[in-house]
Amino acid sequence: MLPIAVLVYPLPVSLTRAALTPLPPPAGAAAALALLWLLICAPGDAGCRLLTVADLFDRVIRHSGRIHSLATALYEKHFPPRDNELGKSARKCHTSGMLTPNGKEYAQKIPREELTHLILKLLQAWKEPLSHFNQHIEHYQELPDDSLSKAKQISNMVHELKTGVEKVTEKMQSMGIISNSLNGMASSEATGLSISNEANMMSDSDFIHCFRRDSNKVQSYLKILKCRIMPENSC
Amino acid sequence: MKQKLISSVQIILLLALTAVGLTGEYSPNSCYFDKNHTNPWTTYIIVMTMNEIIGSNSSDPQYVDVTSMVQPDSPVILSLETKTSASIMSLWAKWSPPPLPDSVAQFFIIFPVHFLFQTIPVEVQTQYKVIRLHAGVKYVVQVCCMLDLGEWSEWNSERCIQILICEWIISPPEKPTIIKCRSPEKETFTCWWKPGSDGGHPTNYTLLYSKEGEQEVYECPDYRTAGPNSCYFNKKYTSFWIIYNITVRATNEMGSNISDPHYVDVTYIVQPDPPVNITLELKKPINRKPYLVLTWSPPPLADVRSGWLTLEYELRLKPEGEEWEAIFIGQQTQYKMFSLNPGKKYVVQIHCKPDHHGSWSEWSSEKYIQIPNDFRLKDMIVWIIMGVLSSLTCLIMSCTMVLKGYRMIAFILPPVPGPKIKGIDTHLLETGKSEELLSALGCHGFLPTSDYEELLIEYLKVEDSEDQQLMPSHDNSHPSKNAKMTPKETDSDSGRGSCDSPSLLSEKCRESRPLPSTLQTQDVRDVQANKGGKSSWETQCIASEQKTLLFNSESKKSSTWPAAQLPNNQLPMFAYHSTVDAYKITWSTTNVNIAPVLVGNEEKHQSQYSITETPPMCIIQGIK
Repeated sequence: MLPIAVLVYPLPVSLTRAALTPLPPPAGAAAALALLWLLICAPGDAGCRLLTVADLFDRVIRHSGRIHSLATALYEKHFPPRDNELGKSARKCHTSGMLTPNGKEYAQKIPREELTHLILKLLQAWKEPLSHFNQHIEHYQELPDDSLSKAKQISNMVHELKTGVEKVTEKMQSMGIISNSLNGMASSEATGLSISNEANMMSDSDFIHCFRRDSNKVQSYLKILKCRIMPENSC
Repeated sequence: MKQKLISSVQIILLLALTAVGLTGEYSPNSCYFDKNHTNPWTTYIIVMTMNEIIGSNSSDPQYVDVTSMVQPDSPVILSLETKTSASIMSLWAKWSPPPLPDSVAQFFIIFPVHFLFQTIPVEVQTQYKVIRLHAGVKYVVQVCCMLDLGEWSEWNSERCIQILICEWIISPPEKPTIIKCRSPEKETFTCWWKPGSDGGHPTNYTLLYSKEGEQEVYECPDYRTAGPNSCYFNKKYTSFWIIYNITVRATNEMGSNISDPHYVDVTYIVQPDPPVNITLELKKPINRKPYLVLTWSPPPLADVRSGWLTLEYELRLKPEGEEWEAIFIGQQTQYKMFSLNPGKKYVVQIHCKPDHHGSWSEWSSEKYIQIPNDFRLKDMIVWIIMGVLSSLTCLIMSCTMVLKGYRMIAFILPPVPGPKIKGIDTHLLETGKSEELLSALGCHGFLPTSDYEELLIEYLKVEDSEDQQLMPSHDNSHPSKNAKMTPKETDSDSGRGSCDSPSLLSEKCRESRPLPSTLQTQDVRDVQANKGGKSSWETQCIASEQKTLLFNSESKKSSTWPAAQLPNNQLPMFAYHSTVDAYKITWSTTNVNIAPVLVGNEEKHQSQYSITETPPMCIIQGIK
């Protein structure tokens, strides 16, 4: 596939899709690989089409929806909260310290870059706790097999989602929709590590509750971001 | 009573200034009568006299009835308390009676309720319980006592004391409950609660909430917008992805009560309004069946454009009068529906819900569409032609059935053929056409017909005196015939060709054919005239006998042959049913039997014979 990417890249004129804006000058191999991810067929085929940002967004939104559904299913079925625990203010999610918009207006007001960055930060924050959770529930006797497999799936799915969002971000950056601010990305890695330790202290029920909430946040932010960037596509 | 008493005792009381009560109690201007001096059954007349140096003066006499003067002290109220049991409030009043030894006292309680005085007579007791107190009502309780001396029917005295004033019967309110919290567009939300019983007193409700992770408690920002017993949180106060802890407090004068806490995360309580602008359009493309296109819009409050709230829709429809069928549509706002039944009226409703956790909205208002009947002209023509043809066919069939019904039936269901003997037709037998029958059997001119008896008789006669009788008869007849016949008569014992054999019989019958007409007339005359011989007799075949026999049996006349004259038992043979049998038997027996029989009858039956047929005759020899 690489030769194709190399072939295509120097000839931006051949890309006749109207949705694609003219590509900026390449940023090296990374950009080439990014483009690679966007090609799903060899450009001579009749059905060949490039994935647009809208398509990518749809995919990641759908993916995040699936994650949320899984989390909800687990939450309701196997880790339902006991009533007296609900009000416990001691119950805190390890991501509670992150400043995230808690309403529509805030989500619409903050800059796109920040919103994107926030999404990635959230996803990063859950990476490690989920892997710990995976190991933990191996020994969980009460879960039936299908729920166990579902729970294990979650960490994979979150990883995929993060990859997808990264791709979308890069695409947007390459298209000039959002500015390149890579420094934000670096800091997210650091914060992610520090707060993930707290996650290990949570009970299973709290863990799933927090995760469910955060997956909903990610989904909502992605939707808002999409409709901000491309308001005409089914918004 | 009183009269009695008055008349009994009279006491004059002299009161001096220094007079002292007999028991030692002293109060100025009073006189005390102790127990010994008090008799309740008497009336005292009391006169006061004042003696002074200059003179004396006495008062008017005062009639005193002790019992009517009785005025007990008021009772002493000990306690008054309200008790609540099983949500019924009751009031317990306890008092102690006044010091009245050896007397019967009655107490009653006066209860002014609002402005209505209610007196409740109470027997001898010292406590009373009042039930059914109304909350929020002012009660005053009084206990009074009266003496009732049994016989005395009138209350003598009455004394009450007001025990209590202004004791409110009220209680603190019951715990309210929070019913539900809902957000219609994921931007604001409302909570509703249900009050408990308010204890009669106006109760204040306050909604308090706190947010997850915060200690501070806030009060509801808006009690009015969403109606009574509700709290509306507008955009400013609505936050997502945090849990609200909501409680409602009810307060009245007596106290307050707080509901159970209700935890809510606004993200998950979204229940949108139903979709709007539902349009149904029937599209009729050429050469294809019509289909229905439904379009609708999301509810006006829901902000779908920003992606904040994503709605999923579900449609349900049914032909009128049948069951609903639900179709999940997803996020699109239009739907095409094929395969609808033509001629039916469909009812359609749509509702929506947020794509992640939330509740379905109410169903939208019903929309109707009538699917037009789908008939093309071509189909109709075909049906009409078919209908006409089939009706014509039916008409023709019914006509043929009516007109030729039986034949048709016979054609369709032919009659079962009965058994049939070859050569013999039963109809011929029935109708008496023995000629035909015999011809069918191969025997022509065998039997004589109606005048057989006469002929037979003649024939027999001829037998007795063969030559003589024959001759005179033959004089009149054709001599040729006689010539023919004569030689045959000479031999009576030899085996003449009798009519046993059908072949011989037929020969003879043929020979004798031309004879009949003339001979018959002659025979009649001969019979009447004398019993002379008749030449023709011999030619007569026994077949004529047979015929007569048959005739007898067939026509069912009473036997012309008197049974008494029959010398033997051969007569019964006349009654044979089958022709064949009759033939056989008569053939066998006539040679012997017939003659005597026949003779006897001639006299009787002379006039009866009518010549209707001309029986063929043949010579039978050997017959006596």
